[in-house]
Amino acid sequence: MFTIHPDQTFIHSLSSHLDHSEHLASWEGFKLAYQAAQFKTVPEFGGLLALDHLPHVDFMDHQVEAAETVVHHMNGRAILADEVGLGKTLEAGLILKEYMIRGRAEKVLILTPASLVNQWIQELNEKFYIRAASPRKKQASWKEWDVAVTSIDMAKRDHHREEILSQEYDFIIIDEAHKLKNHQTKNYQFVQSLKKTYCLLLTATPIQNKLSDLFNLVSILKPGYLGNLTDFKKKYQKHAQEEEHIQHIHSLVGQLMIRNRRKDTGLDSSKRRVRNERLTFTNEEAELYQSLEQLKADHPSFTWLTLAKELCSSREACYMSLNQLKKKAPPEKQAVYDDFIEALGRLPHHIKAERMVDLIKEKDEKFIVFTEYRATQFYLQWYLQQHGITSVPFSGKFNKSKRDWMKQLFQNKAQVMVATEAGGEGINLQFCHHMINYDLPWNPMRLEQRIGRIHRFGQKYDVNIYNFAVENTIEDHIMHMLYEKIEVFKNAVGDLDHILEQIPGGTFEQQIQSIVKQSESQGEMDIKLKNLVSYVEHTVNERRESS
Amino acid sequence: MSVPHPYAAFVEHFFAAYNCPVLEKGSTHFTVQLTSEMDEEIMNRPFYWHYMKKMGREGEPMRLTFTQTDGSQKQGIYLHAGTPKLHALYQTAINKGKTARLYERIPPENAGHTAVSPWLVVNFLLHYRGKQARDEPLSIGLNLIHGTMMLKMMEKLEMVPFGNTVSDYTFPMTPVISLSNAYRRMEKHVETYISSQNNQWAVESHQHLQRETALLESFYASEDIDLESFTKERDQMDTRYKPCIKLEVVNGGLFYISQETSAPWIHQKSR
Repeated sequence: MFTIHPDQTFIHSLSSHLDHSEHLASWEGFKLAYQAAQFKTVPEFGGLLALDHLPHVDFMDHQVEAAETVVHHMNGRAILADEVGLGKTLEAGLILKEYMIRGRAEKVLILTPASLVNQWIQELNEKFYIRAASPRKKQASWKEWDVAVTSIDMAKRDHHREEILSQEYDFIIIDEAHKLKNHQTKNYQFVQSLKKTYCLLLTATPIQNKLSDLFNLVSILKPGYLGNLTDFKKKYQKHAQEEEHIQHIHSLVGQLMIRNRRKDTGLDSSKRRVRNERLTFTNEEAELYQSLEQLKADHPSFTWLTLAKELCSSREACYMSLNQLKKKAPPEKQAVYDDFIEALGRLPHHIKAERMVDLIKEKDEKFIVFTEYRATQFYLQWYLQQHGITSVPFSGKFNKSKRDWMKQLFQNKAQVMVATEAGGEGINLQFCHHMINYDLPWNPMRLEQRIGRIHRFGQKYDVNIYNFAVENTIEDHIMHMLYEKIEVFKNAVGDLDHILEQIPGGTFEQQIQSIVKQSESQGEMDIKLKNLVSYVEHTVNERRESS
Repeated sequence: MSVPHPYAAFVEHFFAAYNCPVLEKGSTHFTVQLTSEMDEEIMNRPFYWHYMKKMGREGEPMRLTFTQTDGSQKQGIYLHAGTPKLHALYQTAINKGKTARLYERIPPENAGHTAVSPWLVVNFLLHYRGKQARDEPLSIGLNLIHGTMMLKMMEKLEMVPFGNTVSDYTFPMTPVISLSNAYRRMEKHVETYISSQNNQWAVESHQHLQRETALLESFYASEDIDLESFTKERDQMDTRYKPCIKLEVVNGGLFYISQETSAPWIHQKSR
């Protein structure tokens, strides 16, 4: 039934120590060693010993439950997919600590976006008393380090890769694992070839785009569990409408995944208030917006889409793209763009920028402003400065120390942080409770990630979200069609993400892109978008009724 | 009076045993002065000590304050089950207290040429490893003259005084049973003990392993995974689920005990 591994060394060392009395202990010393071993003993199979070891951390009930489930029922391989801001890192740390205490994890590797490496090291040390190392410059000793934290990009570099792959890790944690959705990428293959016993995948948006993304995550934990990809896709597409089949996949995945939602945790004391602000272009702006339609004739419709979205954001963002187009165009055609550029130059300040400043002045509190464009980011900072409002920029491309510095400045000195989309992950700004979504992303889930930056544990106030959109523009459509109808703001996101993945014939995002690209007229686009949304609505309602 | 704090008591005993004096003691805290040796051992500052030695200087060992509260009342090292410093002390204690040869202390007026008989005392830790994990301590003593085996040995010895040298007017007997032989008998006993225990944990782990293996094999058979990942998964499944027991000896030693002390246990056992 089981093997017994004897202690091979003890009796020999006792015999030799008896001849060399300097190695022998006193009675007190002997008793202390015995007592120390009692303290370190794992008394029972069940329960979480880590809780006694970490009395200074206030774990939430759902975090403790998640850890128990992963350790005792999922046997240490799981996807932790709590909604943003529910403390997945704490759950992962608690699970890791439990395995370390139980003597099952010594060699540990944590893969996380580069910007989060130091945050992880700090949390492990302060909250969990786990000392972790990370590679600096070219110095790394994967063999000696018991607990290492690094980014995948760093880990897969030539001089690290081989050594890491040769280590036998007891425990691997992969943060922001939704980035591993594509099984053809080098990152995915790297992760797949790591040697691991226990493994946690952390993601807030487990099914960001396709069910096949989920398939790929599951394959890291349990290869073969959902069959192979080709069959999986075939089955899934063929039977997508059959409730039974979907249920089957869900119940399979449910054995590997923990997903706590805000509404279930009952910890949602801070509410979110969402206001959609519809703004009207000035005549000049509206005119230019209309005239952009000319481009549809001899450009791919995607070009128009880009420029229209940009014009809704700022003159500067639109200018950057027009200038690019101009540079690529043959000399005789450049005049077209010059006209537009000139018209841009004549525009007054952007209507959204003005509204933003009004709002900030009215509340006189801290704001975080999200935009999709770097050019807009610069413009807004300049514009804020003109009005005597202090601001700091933020982007996911900043290195760790710059990020921390910006966060610090925002917390202590500046009133506003202007962030680009790339800054959406891994920064916690609970001290701020106003957010302006200056531009809206296509994918409603991305908005959820943004909101998660301020609406998370530690937020003491209700959170105010302002979504800007300009009337009668592409933005208006996004807002009207996607955001309002889908009720994304009412915390229904938990239901939503798998529904958005299960639309036959492509994901939500792809659907929108193709609708916008292929529609001949605004009217056609509206109808198609409406159809898409009502499909989603229908599915949501159906699910609600059945549950 | 508060209930004695188990970790605080351990830490105080520890420093007392290794000659680090207590400088100050309150109801919920105490401060100890480390010796140079102890500082080197537990404070993890090798460069400092290396430098001091190179410069031929004495070096200044640190003082440590331990508290039983979370630092809101008194700054210091808050003692609880997970305190890192406490775990460092555990490790030091275990390293330093691995082996011993101890003689029962008998006051000369009671001695009168008492014979003290040799016992091998071994403290085992059984690590049960399968789907889940737990440990079980097992303390065994074996008389090296007549081979009597005692369980829960440390509990019995707890209050008996021992010293590193033979007490006056007592004489230690020469073992009849060799150490390795005695140790083998203990191992046998442990095996018997294990097989007499409820092995539900192992059954469950084993079943789980078989289910998972069967599933994996079916994936491989239907070509859902390639040979490489099959082999890799198969190997680590053993690590995760295969039930086994690791026998670890925490510490052990040769104890010389008077018959007067051991008679009551042996008597109780035979009853």
